[in-house]
Amino acid sequence: MEDFFTYSVILGIFVATVKIATPLLIAATGELVAESAGILNLSLEGTMTIGAFTGFLVANETGSLWLGLVGAAVGGGALGLLMAVMTATVKVNQVVAGLALNILGLGGAFFWYRSVYDESGAVALPTVDRFDTATIPLLADIPAVGEILFDQHWLTYFGVVMVPATFIFLYRTKYGLELRSIGHNPEACDMRGVGIISRQYTAVIYGGVMAGLGGAFLSLSEAGQFFPDIIAGRGWIALAIVIFGNWRASWILVGSLLFGFLEATQLSLQASDVNLPYQLLLALPFVLTIAALVLNRSRSRVPLALTIPYHRGER
Amino acid sequence: MSEQTDDAAEDRGSGGDALARRDPLSLLFQPGAWRLERRLETRAVHELYATLVALAITAVIIGLLVIIAGVSPLDAFSSLYDGAFGDRESALETLVQATPLILTGLAAAIAFRAGVWNIGGQGQFIAGAIGTWWVYATMPGLPAPLLFVAMFAGAAVFGAVWATVASVLLVRYGTNEILTTVMLNFVIDYMLSWLLSGPWQANDTPYSQTERMVESTFLPRFFDDSRLHLGFALALAMAAVVHFLVRRTTLGFELRAIGVNKQAAAYKGISVGAATIAVMAVSGALAGLAGSGELLGLHHRINFEFGEQQIGFTGIIIALVARLHPAGVIVVAIAFAGLLNGSTQMQVGTGIPAALVTVIEGVALVLVLLAAVACRYRLRRAAVHADGSAEGSE
Repeated sequence: MEDFFTYSVILGIFVATVKIATPLLIAATGELVAESAGILNLSLEGTMTIGAFTGFLVANETGSLWLGLVGAAVGGGALGLLMAVMTATVKVNQVVAGLALNILGLGGAFFWYRSVYDESGAVALPTVDRFDTATIPLLADIPAVGEILFDQHWLTYFGVVMVPATFIFLYRTKYGLELRSIGHNPEACDMRGVGIISRQYTAVIYGGVMAGLGGAFLSLSEAGQFFPDIIAGRGWIALAIVIFGNWRASWILVGSLLFGFLEATQLSLQASDVNLPYQLLLALPFVLTIAALVLNRSRSRVPLALTIPYHRGER
Repeated sequence: MSEQTDDAAEDRGSGGDALARRDPLSLLFQPGAWRLERRLETRAVHELYATLVALAITAVIIGLLVIIAGVSPLDAFSSLYDGAFGDRESALETLVQATPLILTGLAAAIAFRAGVWNIGGQGQFIAGAIGTWWVYATMPGLPAPLLFVAMFAGAAVFGAVWATVASVLLVRYGTNEILTTVMLNFVIDYMLSWLLSGPWQANDTPYSQTERMVESTFLPRFFDDSRLHLGFALALAMAAVVHFLVRRTTLGFELRAIGVNKQAAAYKGISVGAATIAVMAVSGALAGLAGSGELLGLHHRINFEFGEQQIGFTGIIIALVARLHPAGVIVVAIAFAGLLNGSTQMQVGTGIPAALVTVIEGVALVLVLLAAVACRYRLRRAAVHADGSAEGSE
């Protein structure tokens, strides 16, 4: 137990916390925008997998990580577009559409990956050079804090910047306010002449792009390769974080860091000989999310029209 | 209403009525010659046609994918079929794999009928396996027939209890059951992982799994040369039970009523809360039975496969493709099991990755969902309006 609480182990946990939180944060801020417009996109897991794959594919083929990111955004955005077509236009039940596209995303990424890279089965898995960490000068020299906060991948900084950016967009811009109105009361928006479908398309495609980028963080910044199980439930965790954060950007940051911290701690626990069931820490985020749903119910900020398709002239 | 117009409605329907004006497909028609109209009622025949058309389009899309992968679709499909139903052995193995899928499919179907979105079939499936093992481990003295009853009951109760966590939260606090059941899947998955690497771990192996069960607890098999076990008959019987329950009982009437309109059902004096909790319990019990069938009929120990196979999630897709009909669930479950079973042979024979099966599931579901919406509309020759839009059809 003593050697678990050493400076280096604890510092390592905090550094890992920020790293693990990054893809969750990027995907969750995107999902927040989609849900604000009233569309629950349950296909986050599949969308992140597609993004991780298309990002890797483009990076591997072109040799450019930056083009890889573009590929990830396009891949994730394409699945988001499909989701928008199914839910905003055709008005298929959102839960069902999300589950369908989740399967399609997962299956599509596995199939595509295996047909491009794995035909003989004997070839070593391809890898790409990963993004270097972007060290922020001066700030990174601060002891401990510098290593935890200012020596991370630049996608991490991007994720953190997206927190206030998402807040400002949703609460301080006309378009963002219109999105949130659609999520709460599409009928009133329709009456005011605010185009619902186009805004829902924007929001859901944006959510898909962000999920794709979150996936690409794992394949291009972390692993340097793609494997079918690369997302490993992070899409579902990102969905949980939006709920845990009660649909507020700042609390989504807190949730991402908390869930990242629990994951980082259980990884260190598994590596050490501390005798505590690590599964407890893994299950905790999901229990906390259910608790948050129950406890926040009176001050819930859930978009009131979430999952309810809008039909003009009905209801 | 002929089949041709149905097909045409299919094409237009995917664009949706609201975007019909901007839909490039509409340019194929003379402007104003056709209009999309909402049907006042959808007949079961239309739904069946639409589903079949969707599945046919799925086959075409998958065929194109296979061509892109450099294989003749005829080769791919025939080796897929051979692996699934080609001979007695593989056909029976397909039924083996269909067994749990029928049960989790029914579990999803009955809950969705009531408009209760139980996405937790996967967790309830695991809860069922845990419940079976718990009875087995704590009641070793029971005589064989009673032990079987107790183990199945344990599975049903554990599955039902795990589902009830979500339904009680829904009824008591109004927490969205979609979100809670998704979360509960993860919670029990880690619980199982802990049980298998801790209290229930077999002594003789380093693996995360339980001891092998004694042979007297194995479900009887139908044939010497196949793994097909009594669980398959149980699954078919459950489909009949679900059909009877939905069509012929008070609970069935109530669950269909709340599935159509909760408020109207409440005005009519139906206790929406009680019906929700009952239907979730039945749904969880069905998924739980799938877990005990896999344990007693096939694996005889709980291992990682219970978490990895995604039996519960596949059940949801099956239920939706089957349009929530119990008999349809049996057909679709067997078809999906055939895909899973045949995919190995296809991969070995043609080099097409077995992951194609997941793509097929996804494409089929997307298209069936679109078709379900499309068959609520029909195309009509419009005599007057030159606009040709869907305006006013809603």
